[in-house]
Amino acid sequence: MIDQIVVSMAATIAFAVLFHVPRSEYLLCGVNGAIGWMVYLFCTAHGTGGASASMWATLVLTLIARILSAVRKMPSTVFLITGIFTLVPGAGIYYTSYYLIMNDLDQCVAKGTETFKIAGAIVLGMIFGLILPQSWFNQLGKIRKCRLNLKK
Amino acid sequence: MSEKERKSDKPESLEKNNVSESKTILNLAISVGEVLLKSGGEIYRVQETVSRILESYGIKDYHVFVITNGIFATVYEQREDAGSMVRYVTIGEVNLERVAKINQLSREIWEKKCTVQEAYERLEQCREASNGAGKRGQILACGVGSAGFCYLLGGRPYDAMMSFFLGVLLEMFLLIASKHHMSRIIMNILGSALITTGSLMLYAVGAGILSDKIIIGGIIPLVPGVALTTGIRDLFGGDYLSGSIRLIDALLTGMCIAIGVGAAIKIFQLLGGGGLPI
Repeated sequence: MIDQIVVSMAATIAFAVLFHVPRSEYLLCGVNGAIGWMVYLFCTAHGTGGASASMWATLVLTLIARILSAVRKMPSTVFLITGIFTLVPGAGIYYTSYYLIMNDLDQCVAKGTETFKIAGAIVLGMIFGLILPQSWFNQLGKIRKCRLNLKK
Repeated sequence: MSEKERKSDKPESLEKNNVSESKTILNLAISVGEVLLKSGGEIYRVQETVSRILESYGIKDYHVFVITNGIFATVYEQREDAGSMVRYVTIGEVNLERVAKINQLSREIWEKKCTVQEAYERLEQCREASNGAGKRGQILACGVGSAGFCYLLGGRPYDAMMSFFLGVLLEMFLLIASKHHMSRIIMNILGSALITTGSLMLYAVGAGILSDKIIIGGIIPLVPGVALTTGIRDLFGGDYLSGSIRLIDALLTGMCIAIGVGAAIKIFQLLGGGGLPI
């Protein structure tokens, strides 16, 4: 379990480096990616399929990205793009083309459909996460500002 | 647009008169938008940034239209000193640091903390913003990413190590290819073929690896996560045209990866690799 958390964090940070995320945000990107992956694992362990697990994970990921972006005063893309990589169906793409080449068309269609389903689920999850109005998240940024002012 | 032309789009004198002032501001706004769009900003963000800059410098009568590879803007359409600018923007390398910096710049302009002249200088700094970790850091990061995903998706630590080397190889290839302006389609096909070939060769030599996990880990850096994310956000913001361009891009990239993997496996089979492990 702990190895999964650490590895998913490291992998997300690696992508943060690849996409030139500002250095100060590396760790938070990693945390976001790890949380997304944990939600995915939790859902699949409790019997949901890959697609709905992806949807829930993306939903949580999007919400956290928006919260982080409000608090850290960063564009939310920074956290969203890096976090989403743990969920993008890379394995699905591989198996689809593998079975196609192996001429196992039943499996190929099954894997292909699953890949599209996961991509669609990611879309849905992100859309659900984006529905909440931005002003709510802006409040979070303000709360932090107030605290800082109080400390001063 | 070549680098030389880009340098010269900064006007020599900013304080000529009113007419050139509105043009200067428009040029600033649209240049900021260009950098933002190129570095992976969403459409609504570009549109909002350009509008906000124009408004902060006192231009109220303007129109901005942004799509995935172009920005169009006009100011003072009804007046004699009407100005309009069009930029063709090629989708470049994702650089979220630039997006963050431009975001900060636009916030400061909005709060009127920045003059036009200063804003130009800041923009120039944003453009030159170095690639944080450098080439070596990127190559290493790609290896770590591949290894990480190989492990997450069921590989053993030993497979992850092999995936690390393939990831490093892939990023080196991608850096060289983008230096030579290779088409992205070819880059994706060759990249995924490279990963697959490497993994299958290791398998054939008898390295005792789970070749499928290594391939999956290796192709993750090519997977269109950015295009997918940005596409959805564009669609959600009501920019259907730009959103569909991005999603088509994502779909095409996915297909290219599949083609690369498939072709490499097929060739391996024909060369007598025979039955492959899943």
